Amino acid sequence: MAARKPPLALRALSRPKLSHRCSRRPPTTLSPRSSSTQSAPKSSVDPTEVSHFSNLASSWWDPAGPSRLLHLMNPLRHTFIQRCLSTASQSASPQRLRYLDIGCGGGIFAESAARLPGTASVTAIDPTAEVLKVAEVHRRRDPRLMEPGRLTYVNTSIEELAVPRAEEAYDVVTLFEVLEHVADPAPFLSTILPHVKPGGWLVLSTIARTDVSWFVTNFMAEDVLGIVPKGTHDWRKYVNEGELRKWFAGQGWGTGGAMNVMGVVYVPGLGWREVSGSERWGNYFFGVKREA
Amino acid sequence: MPPRLRLSAQRAFISTPSTHVCLRLRRFASSSAATPEIYDVVCVGGGPAGLSLLTGLRNSPVTTGLKIALIEGQDLSKSRLPENASLDSFSNRCSSLTPASVKNLQEIGAWSHASAARIQPYHEMQVWDGLTDARISFDWDSARSMFSPRNLAQSTTIAYMVENLNITTALQNRLAELGGVDTFSSTKVESIELGQDTEELDLSSWPILTLSNGKTLAARLLVGADGANSPVRTFAGIPSRGWDYARNGVVATLKLEGPGRGGPDHKIAYQRFLPTGPIAMLPLPGNMASLVWSTTPERAAKLKSLQPEDFAAMVNAGFRLSATDLEYLHTLSSGQVEEIEWRKQHTTTNEPSLPMTVTAIQPGTVAPFPLKMRHADTYIGERIALVGDAAHTVHPLAGQGLNQGQGDAAALVHTIEEAVKTGQDMGSLLALESYNSARYATNNAMLGAVDKLHKLYAIDSGPMIGLRSLGLRTVDALGPLKAFFMKSAAGGA
Ligand SMILES: Cc1cc2nc3c(=O)[nH]c(=O)nc-3n(C[C@H](O)[C@H](O)[C@H](O)COP(=O)(O)OP(=O)(O)OC[C@H]3O[C@@H](n4cnc5c(N)ncnc54)[C@H](O)[C@@H]3O)c2cc1C
Repeated sequence: MAARKPPLALRALSRPKLSHRCSRRPPTTLSPRSSSTQSAPKSSVDPTEVSHFSNLASSWWDPAGPSRLLHLMNPLRHTFIQRCLSTASQSASPQRLRYLDIGCGGGIFAESAARLPGTASVTAIDPTAEVLKVAEVHRRRDPRLMEPGRLTYVNTSIEELAVPRAEEAYDVVTLFEVLEHVADPAPFLSTILPHVKPGGWLVLSTIARTDVSWFVTNFMAEDVLGIVPKGTHDWRKYVNEGELRKWFAGQGWGTGGAMNVMGVVYVPGLGWREVSGSERWGNYFFGVKREA
Repeated sequence: MPPRLRLSAQRAFISTPSTHVCLRLRRFASSSAATPEIYDVVCVGGGPAGLSLLTGLRNSPVTTGLKIALIEGQDLSKSRLPENASLDSFSNRCSSLTPASVKNLQEIGAWSHASAARIQPYHEMQVWDGLTDARISFDWDSARSMFSPRNLAQSTTIAYMVENLNITTALQNRLAELGGVDTFSSTKVESIELGQDTEELDLSSWPILTLSNGKTLAARLLVGADGANSPVRTFAGIPSRGWDYARNGVVATLKLEGPGRGGPDHKIAYQRFLPTGPIAMLPLPGNMASLVWSTTPERAAKLKSLQPEDFAAMVNAGFRLSATDLEYLHTLSSGQVEEIEWRKQHTTTNEPSLPMTVTAIQPGTVAPFPLKMRHADTYIGERIALVGDAAHTVHPLAGQGLNQGQGDAAALVHTIEEAVKTGQDMGSLLALESYNSARYATNNAMLGAVDKLHKLYAIDSGPMIGLRSLGLRTVDALGPLKAFFMKSAAGGA
């Protein structure tokens, strides 16, 4: 039956999302920065999404729970970041990196980044208090993460986070499985840009907006297979890789080939696998470097 | 139905529940609540599996930053070969190391620390049925397909006979060279309990070990390399199922009339299946050999009680005389030498196909071990991993026990490396899953195959005999199939 041979690109990742607006307008195009930066609202959380994800909070760290596919994907995020950092790195990257994780949820990525030997600190933010509580509680189970300054959670949206001076911005800013939940991606991305240090990287993951991805994530994953809780995705919010490339190029980012993409596919029984070209119709990572 | 082991699902292990220990535990408990020392990896058991795991972790550039402890109840300096050990005497605990195990020991830098003169590669195996004489011979030349030209560079070694002490010595030396492991030798684990959720930290998922020296350690990952009666497995509440074979493995170090039928450069291992179990003679350097005779506990006790000359005569008889003769010989309390001499005159044997005659037994080496088959339901739990005999115990007829432990250790090193590279908590079930899936099915298949072989050969009448000799002859005729058989014996190398 259909469930045996799925979904080349299960968009099965569930986490609380930031939402730029309560609006449901699909982001068919990313508008240039000038038209959108000033419209960043103070309250950026979509109330329907908040209540949805609060229900998932208790099982966030259950390896067999609804976040299992997200847990399984986490190692690939590091693989991709390593790839980005080794791309176009004329200037020796700093010994120890400072991370900002936007939309950190229960802390799956933030914890793992904070454990890496090459990490100086991780600041992880999420506007949803409940899931941040899950993250705080879970962090106490690992003495390494409790070392002062190693991992800091802040209950805030990116719009409300103070913009740092350039040299105090972050080496790596991450935005995993957030963009597809944002109503209006261009102004949202614009608020993130100043948090990336010159020469640093913005790394995100999301899903392409195609017929395949609608079929896989909404129809198969939520309705048929039931492996993703219903209501996790709104397909119209998905953003395509080409749209991101164009938009960042317009900001003058990622010049000289410092823009990477990696398509990944969930294969039942094997886990997540990199499949080149799959970024055009499924889950993908996107990394872009800010000019030094 | 095989008897099932009792399931102990309790996440607490206390070694000896005497009042004395309890009192001491209480005292430790108060200090442990204050400051257990925090480790990334705590390995209980410094046998071949545990030492190989820690050497692998210290050898890998990815995992060198980990804080590691080793706890061994015995004095580790006693599991070392004596300096200038003589080549006329060998330990009775030897293992047949597969090329895959040797390759791993080379990769972690331990193999060059082994005493090479004490290692005996062998190149041929003769296996036959004691009731029908159907025989398989294993050697790379006859197994090689006629279509693939002989490659002189290809190793013709099937496996390597090594004293367990030689392996543990090599690993200890390599580990000393690498350094960086907090080693508690002659120190027992007295209790393991889960930690507490205090104001600063939640250690409620962390195993806290209390040692016989009063120290307490908290383990991000607690590795049970603590043998068949694994206290770590008990603590984790992981059931281990299986059965006892009602057989003992009698080991001894033998001296032969010469270096073997193929001379010193072409050594041969022999195994004859008797209704009571297989008798195996494995080559050691020079004129020495190692015996593993699986038999009933009564016969094992009888063998152990014999004078050395009578024991030697019984080993020779074990490879030559009929099952009926052997049964009778086990009823005598002495005089086997003369009795066997007389019976041999009435038995036709093909001497060139049999192992050389045993002329002496190295004093003090005859020892029986109970044989059993056990398999843990899983190798992992929250902050728990089992390796080696703690995870599985196998009948020694295929000589796989120690090799499986080496495979486990290598796989767990790999899993921990991946966790460190990607910032996972190496003690979490998610991070450990890949270790379980890498090893469980492989080991289970080996355990099952060895168990079935034992059962097939432990039947001494009826249609099974005709079937099994047919089985052996068929395998002997099919070179490529046999090559497959040998490759699995040689660890897939
Ligand atoms: C007769 C016989 C013949 C065999 N022949 C072969 C063969 O030819 N080839 C082969 O591959 N294998 C063979 N084996 C199997 C092989 O010997 C074992 O598989 C191997 O020794 C297991 O290694 P290990 O490190 O897992 O466990 P062990 O060697 O049992 O080591 C466990 C260690 O844990 C320590 N420990 C236990 N409890 C505690 C505690 N509470 N605190 C601190 N320390 C503790 C023990 O002191 C011990 O040193 C044979 C076994 C037998 C019985």
